[in-house]
This record gives sequence, C-alpha cells and structure tokens, in this order.
Amino acid sequence: MIGKKRTYRIVPYLFLIPYLFAFITFRFGPSIAGFFVSLTRWNIVGQARFVGLQNFIDLFRDPNFMRSLINTLYFMLLTVPALVVGGLLIAMLVDQSLKGRIVTRTFVFMPYVIMSTVVGVIWLWIFDAHFGILNYYLSFLGIRPIAWLSSVNWAMPAVAIATIWWTIGFNMILFLAGLQDIPNELKEAARIDGASSWQVFWNITFPLLSPTMIVVVMLTLINTFQVFAQVYVMTGGGPAMATLTVVQYMYVQSFQYYRLGYGSAIAYVIFIFLVAFILLEGKFLKKSGDLN
Amino acid sequence: MNGKRKKHLIRILLYFFMIICIITSFAPILWMTVSAFKPEGEILSYPPQWIPLHPTWSNFAYVLKNFNFARWTFNSVIAALVATIIVILIDSLAAFAFAKMKFHGSKVLYAVILSMLMVPIQVTIVPLYLMFADVNLLNTITALILPTTGNVTGVFILTNFFRSVPKNLLDAAIVDGAGSFRIWWSIMLPLARPSISAVAIITFMSNWTNFLWPLVSVSSDASRTLPVGIAQFFGGQSGVSGSAPQYGPAMAAALMATLPAIAIFLFLQRYFVKGVMMTGIKG
Repeated sequence: MIGKKRTYRIVPYLFLIPYLFAFITFRFGPSIAGFFVSLTRWNIVGQARFVGLQNFIDLFRDPNFMRSLINTLYFMLLTVPALVVGGLLIAMLVDQSLKGRIVTRTFVFMPYVIMSTVVGVIWLWIFDAHFGILNYYLSFLGIRPIAWLSSVNWAMPAVAIATIWWTIGFNMILFLAGLQDIPNELKEAARIDGASSWQVFWNITFPLLSPTMIVVVMLTLINTFQVFAQVYVMTGGGPAMATLTVVQYMYVQSFQYYRLGYGSAIAYVIFIFLVAFILLEGKFLKKSGDLN
Repeated sequence: MNGKRKKHLIRILLYFFMIICIITSFAPILWMTVSAFKPEGEILSYPPQWIPLHPTWSNFAYVLKNFNFARWTFNSVIAALVATIIVILIDSLAAFAFAKMKFHGSKVLYAVILSMLMVPIQVTIVPLYLMFADVNLLNTITALILPTTGNVTGVFILTNFFRSVPKNLLDAAIVDGAGSFRIWWSIMLPLARPSISAVAIITFMSNWTNFLWPLVSVSSDASRTLPVGIAQFFGGQSGVSGSAPQYGPAMAAALMATLPAIAIFLFLQRYFVKGVMMTGIKG
C-alpha cells in the first residue's frame, strides 16, 4: 500500500482535494442545503422564514401536487412493466445465435443516444392529430384519428409510448450483459436431461438473472419517477394538468412562481419516494427469496 | 422431421420479431430525417410520403438563420467536453487514493460519496441556483460545467477498476523510485483506458443531454444549450396557439442535434455498451 510510510501521509489528501471540493460544493452541500430551504417560506425576493415542516403538510393538501403525484405513478404503471418485460424479451431475442442480432441490438439502442427534448419534438410530429403519421397508419386498422396530445385520456399514454421507444434499448443492454454471464453449460446440461425451452428459462435463466433484474427494475423505477423533459416538450403538463409530473411541478413552483421553500420540499418528497422504491424492492425480493 | 420443421418455424418467427424491432426503433428517426428535407408545402401532405418529392435544404437554412442554433451547439459541445475532461482528471485522482492508499476516514468518506447516488439531482437545483446567482455566474458556460464535476459515478467506476490493479505492479514502480503522482499518471491512467472511456462517454452524454439545470440556470439566448433551445423554440408550447407548428424546421433542428450523437454512437458502440453496463452496476 502506498502511504504506509509517514512521509506519504499527506499524499492521499492531495489526491482527494480537487474532487472533494467539487463534490462538497456542487453535490453534497447543495443536497443538505436543499433540506434547510425546504423548511422555509422563501420567495426569492425577501427573507427566508423558518416554517418547520409546514411546506410538507401543505404539499399533501395541495390538490395540484397530489395530481402530479398520481400522474407520475400512472406514467410509471404505463412504462415500467413494458420497459422491464420488453427489455428482457428483446435481450433474449438478440442473445440467440442468429444472423442480424448485432444489427438489431444497434438499432434498438440507437434512440437512447437522442437527447430527451429532441425525442419530444420527434414524437410531437408523429402524434400530430391531423397530419401525424401514427394516426394515418392506425386508420388502416379502422381506428379513427386520436387527438393524442390534446386529449386528457391519451396524452399520458402518448408520452409513455415515446419514453418506451427512447429507453428500452438501455434495459436491453443491461439484460443482455446478465444473460451472457450465465454459463452455457448449465443450459446445455438441462437440455440434455430433457428440459423444454420453457423449463430451461424458468428454472435456470430466470433465477440466475435475478441480480440483473434487481438493478434494471430499480433503475427503471428511479428514472421513470423523474420524468420531465419529454413532458415539458410534448404537452407542457397539459391538457388540463393531465400530464403534470412531480418534477415538472417542482420546476414550476421553484422557478416560475419562485417559491423556493415549497419547491425544495417537493424535491425532498422525490427523494423520499426514491428511497421508498429501493426499500420496497428490497423487501419484495427478500419475501420471494424466502419462498424458494 | 416434425422437430426440424418446428425449429424452422421458430427461426422464422424470431427473424420476424427482429425485423419488427428494427422497424419500430428506426422508423421515427427516418421519419424525422425525411421530414427535415420536405419543403413547406409538402410537409403536411396527406397521406404521408416517405420520399420527399422536392427535397430541399431550406428547413436547415431557416433554422440556422432564425435561431442561434450554432451558438447553442457550441455551448453544448464546450460544456460537455470541459466537464468530461475535469471529471476524468479529478475522479481518477480521487479513485486512486480510495483504491490504493491508506488514510484516516477513507471508508466513511467513500460511503458518504456513494450514498449520494440515492439522492436525486432535483434536490440540489434550488441551492445551486441560489449559489450561482450569488456569485453572478448564472447565464454562463461555467454554470453549465461546474455542477457536473461533483458526480459520483465516475469515482465509483474508477475506484472499482483501480482496486483490481495488482499490488506488485505498484510495488515494482515504488522500488524504481516512482512517486504517487507518477504512478497515477504513467501506470494507472493507461491501464484504466477502457474504464476511462466508459466514464468519459457517461459524463459527456449526461452533460450533453442534461435539461433541468441548463433550463434553470440559463435564460439568455447566448448561453443556451441545444436541448433547452430546441425545447423552447420547437416544443409543443412554443408555437402561437392556433397556428400549425413548424414541423419542417423543427425536424431539421432535431436532425442536426441528433446526427452527431448517432455518428459517435456508431463509431464507439463498444464503449457505449460498456458505459451502460457500468451505470447498471452502480445500482
């Protein structure tokens, strides 16, 4: 180990200082400060006034906030299962020894490198009620034109479709890495013993994939709960607040109404939800582990 | 015979699914590209045409003439590039200390840093805003760069990698009289090239596509980034209500913002995939 000798003792800190400065100033410090701001009533002009947990109490009585929370959970309901199950299925597809699997992998991942707001702009055009290409092709199936983004019922599913298209490649890559870590001999041996493809999947692949599954589910929950940019571009939270999400409400309160304390409280509620997701997933896994 | 036929059928079915995957993934990108080259009169033609009858550059010219598009691109590239360089330097220094040096509080410090992975970035936005307003740095490229440098993922990935470097390799260098800084620069960094590429891609992409902080910290057009500029001028809320959105220019802007990223992705696909796998591991 370097630094064992006395003369080296100061060296580790010299290596750490530049990063620690950045970390404390721009990540750790602001995270702590955010909590203290959330305990105040503070409109950018004027003094901050300490109000304790009042902002948090107000939040749960604020119908718009509750609306944004329900909207966000609805968005997760629409996207998380599709992103996890779909990502796994596509990963299994491109894991087969077939020609064209690399090309498929490349194409499925490609949307992920497009920036979120551009994704929003592209799908704004696709979802256009009158001239959009989606409604045109749906008309062949006998479906009448849908006013996707200006309809209270369809706006959120539309944002969900765009999001699934954009991020499913990310999950596919994670699952693919997990699948390729499973030794082939195990599956071969099971097959020789007469196991069907389904049995091989259910009894070997799936259990061995569970570490990957944990990571994918957690990342998908965390990312979808923070949905913002696509919504900002495609609907701006409308129509009639049908797509207002929690992060957008935090943005609106903090930087359009400049209610800094209230906005910070929303940010901390986001934090609490993320921790809850992580704990819940842990608990759920423990339970299913006991069953085995 | 029957088993063979079944196998054949499954194969065809799998190819069918692959083609579906490729079409669904690529069609929106292709449609954006096609639309970008359509003249004003053609874009809203119905039924939609996949090949422009009179392809034109006019949408691109319109975007470049009427918006500060070149400036937004410049800001985005500079901010992402500088942030990436700073992150690689300071993160690899810190990671080296965490992985290969003994010092008081190393474990606690590392745990505190990792714990920030759980804290969403939204929590920091208001304090960062107040801080940058206080030192008069809102509306600058500096404001777009600095918050990225406090990232955690880079330190985590590099520390993990440096831990795997065998001890005797370093001992040999110490015997040869190399100092810690020298070891970091001429042994650790070259060895870590694959991990550093992955960290570079993750950092560059997250700064390049970052939206909330640039939206909050920048209000002047000269310091705007690409994602914010596109959102504000080509998003659904930007048009005058009632008038048809300008899809032609919007698609031209979208294409110009996307093409470099897709080109880089196709060239560096290996590193992208690795980068994604490493962000996955972080959870």
